[in-house]
Amino acid sequence: MRPVPTPQQEELRAAVRDLCSREVTVERLLVWEGASDASELALLESIAALGWLGLGVPVAAGGSGACLSDVAILVSECARGLVPRSIIGAVRGATALGVIAPKSSVLASLATGDNRLAMAVDEEEARVASSFSTTVEVEGGVPRVRGAKAYVPDAALSELHLVVARDGQGPVLALTEAGGPGVTIRELRTFGGDRQAHVRYDGAPVVERIEGGPAAFGRLQEVRQALALAEMVGGMDAVLDATVAYVQEREQFGQKIALFQAVRHQIADMGIRVTAARHLAWQAITRIDRRALCGHELASALAYTGRAFRDVCVTGHHLHGGAGFVVENRLRFHSERAQSLAIRYACEAPALEEIAGALLD
Amino acid sequence: MDYELSPREQAWREEVREFIGEHVDEALADETRQRGNEGRGPRAQLFLDALRDRGWWGLAWPEEYGGLGKTALEQWIFIDEIESAGAPMLPLTVTSVAPTIMRIGSQEQKRDWLPKIQAGEIEFALGYSEAEAGTDLASLKTRAELDGDEWVVNGAKMWNTMAHHATHNWLAVRTEPDARKHKGISMMIVPMDAPGVSVQPIWVWPGLRTNALFLDNVRVPRSYLIGERGMGFYYAAMALNFERLSIGSIGMARRHFRALVDEVRRRVVDGRPLREDPWVRERLARLQIEIDAAGMLGLETAWALDQGRVPAAESSMAKIYVSELSQRIADVGCEILGLNGQLHADEARALAGGRMQWLYRLSPMLAFGGGTNEVQRDIIGFMGFGLPRK
Ligand SMILES: Cc1cc2nc3c(=O)[nH]c(=O)nc-3n(C[C@H](O)[C@H](O)[C@H](O)COP(=O)(O)OP(=O)(O)OC[C@H]3O[C@@H](n4cnc5c(N)ncnc54)[C@H](O)[C@@H]3O)c2cc1C
Repeated sequence: MRPVPTPQQEELRAAVRDLCSREVTVERLLVWEGASDASELALLESIAALGWLGLGVPVAAGGSGACLSDVAILVSECARGLVPRSIIGAVRGATALGVIAPKSSVLASLATGDNRLAMAVDEEEARVASSFSTTVEVEGGVPRVRGAKAYVPDAALSELHLVVARDGQGPVLALTEAGGPGVTIRELRTFGGDRQAHVRYDGAPVVERIEGGPAAFGRLQEVRQALALAEMVGGMDAVLDATVAYVQEREQFGQKIALFQAVRHQIADMGIRVTAARHLAWQAITRIDRRALCGHELASALAYTGRAFRDVCVTGHHLHGGAGFVVENRLRFHSERAQSLAIRYACEAPALEEIAGALLD
Repeated sequence: MDYELSPREQAWREEVREFIGEHVDEALADETRQRGNEGRGPRAQLFLDALRDRGWWGLAWPEEYGGLGKTALEQWIFIDEIESAGAPMLPLTVTSVAPTIMRIGSQEQKRDWLPKIQAGEIEFALGYSEAEAGTDLASLKTRAELDGDEWVVNGAKMWNTMAHHATHNWLAVRTEPDARKHKGISMMIVPMDAPGVSVQPIWVWPGLRTNALFLDNVRVPRSYLIGERGMGFYYAAMALNFERLSIGSIGMARRHFRALVDEVRRRVVDGRPLREDPWVRERLARLQIEIDAAGMLGLETAWALDQGRVPAAESSMAKIYVSELSQRIADVGCEILGLNGQLHADEARALAGGRMQWLYRLSPMLAFGGGTNEVQRDIIGFMGFGLPRK
């Protein structure tokens, strides 16, 4: 057992931290919240040039061929440093496609950042794949996508969409071009400051069909969830670190607030949650990586980490008082991501259902 | 024992509901939503004017000041109804500053200020907090020195929320630099148009605006110091006391909860009504229990006030419970509504009016503002149960 990063992973973390400290300033975060700008594209290009977009892409497709755990280290550090979610999304897209379709013709362009891949999974009134109504059917000799996907992250700024649809048998995965015929994108204002959109596919031609059916979809979900766990762990670490630092700076009643027992207890409780979540999360990530997931452990890691991240944010805000409440404080960006990640990837209800099923059925 | 409202209280509740029914409409709800759910726009102002015309600004004021002298329980009913309808609450100028002036002001000061407040001609921003003086308010540094017949005020206030609308500031300033810190503060009225006053906006997470206020050799007449010199800390505490019933009110939380329940009733997910999901049912039921419990703490505070007691422990209990429960409602609400719940309030299809994500952003402030919850817990310990202070 070695429940800590390897020296190489530590090096990667240090490099990401260094980049973030230079490039991800609060001024830029405030701009990026509204729209992408040149500095966000420049950051994407720097990250592509460092080979990080293609970190998990197979070598044959122009990537570094690193394992999912290494990509999770990258994502976790990016989340800690508040790298724009669109860039984390680009890493997620390239990695996921690399895992489920290592021979895909578009992988090389994702590794360089020339193209970005949005994942169109959820639907307005459906949470599980068996309820999805988007279909892929051959019309006039060409497979086409029909249906509507909701809350698709980065749909408008990605060149390619990976659509989870259904055919007669079950889930199928298909790539379409975002700018191609039959694709209508309506951008949404969401509170997390990320760029989601509703997308309609009215017979959008499939440019590539991903083989593997339900198994490929299952693997896609695991990779998305693994990287979401990494994002949550990174954000949580940042909130804890910022709060530990703040209570040692802030004085009230002639003393550091860290000296109040009630404050120390809250810091200790945050520490317990973060530590437990970190191990549950990394256990799940590394086992997804080795295809060795057991029973309910992914559900457990997601439910615990999602809950812990939000709780840690609330305590972080409490201990920061007004200072943490101004829009310029980094804390609130993490709190937004905590909620937004939890509702997409770490819903409690299905996790509880799965765990109870593992225990009882 | 009897938990029923008296016929008089019942009739009052009906009267308030009727008024709300007549004056709160979709347009007001829309405006409120567009202003981050709680901000004050033109329609909100019309609503407040209507409240004034009805004589309800003076709800809690003694009859000798033209008020209605309503009991604490009746005030509690009013606050509860207004908040749970999502109507604009009475300004703090009316509910907190005016009653303080009635208690502590000289005859002349009452004559100068109360009629203008009553007529809606002036409105105060509350200038207590400073960047370095939050929970520890008594350490505030903004100072005022007497120069002839005028005070000269210098310093900076933080979180001066209404400053960009207000005509005046209700300002806590240090006038007795040599006295012990709690005894060196006075309350002073500073007109916002006095030379040397400037305001800088500060935006906070739920989308609300507050301000930093700067005072650079601002001169105000000597008579603008309200009450006695050196008593300002206690006056600020008194003014905050008048807010007890609102701070511990469950009305707002109940309103957001109701919006969530309505949304759950309507939604179908994965081909099945959301209200049939056992997890959703359990979460909502648990929140309902907590809302019932929190409501009791507010009621206890109102009742104790009517017995002539200072319900320090009771109101702290209500404040803690409501603030922390609001966080849980937001959290459960966001989770139940899922991806649909993250839409910004101004997206047409935002579920529950975008309230859940907004409450998620607002609720931390309910816990650290209005006297942070750790201090409230201390108060419950020593005021409620006689625990030693040291
Ligand atoms: C949006 C907004 C609007 C506001 N509007 C106004 C306004 O109009 N007028 C005004 O005067 N003020 C206003 N405030 C200020 C508000 O009252 C303060 O934020 C509040 O008093 C807390 O002070 P602080 O933010 O400096 O936090 P701090 O005092 O620094 O407290 C931070 C944390 O430290 C801990 N702590 C502090 N003291 C103790 C202790 N003794 N024991 C244990 N733990 C402790 C607690 O965890 C606390 O939450 C506003 C604030 C906000 C955010």
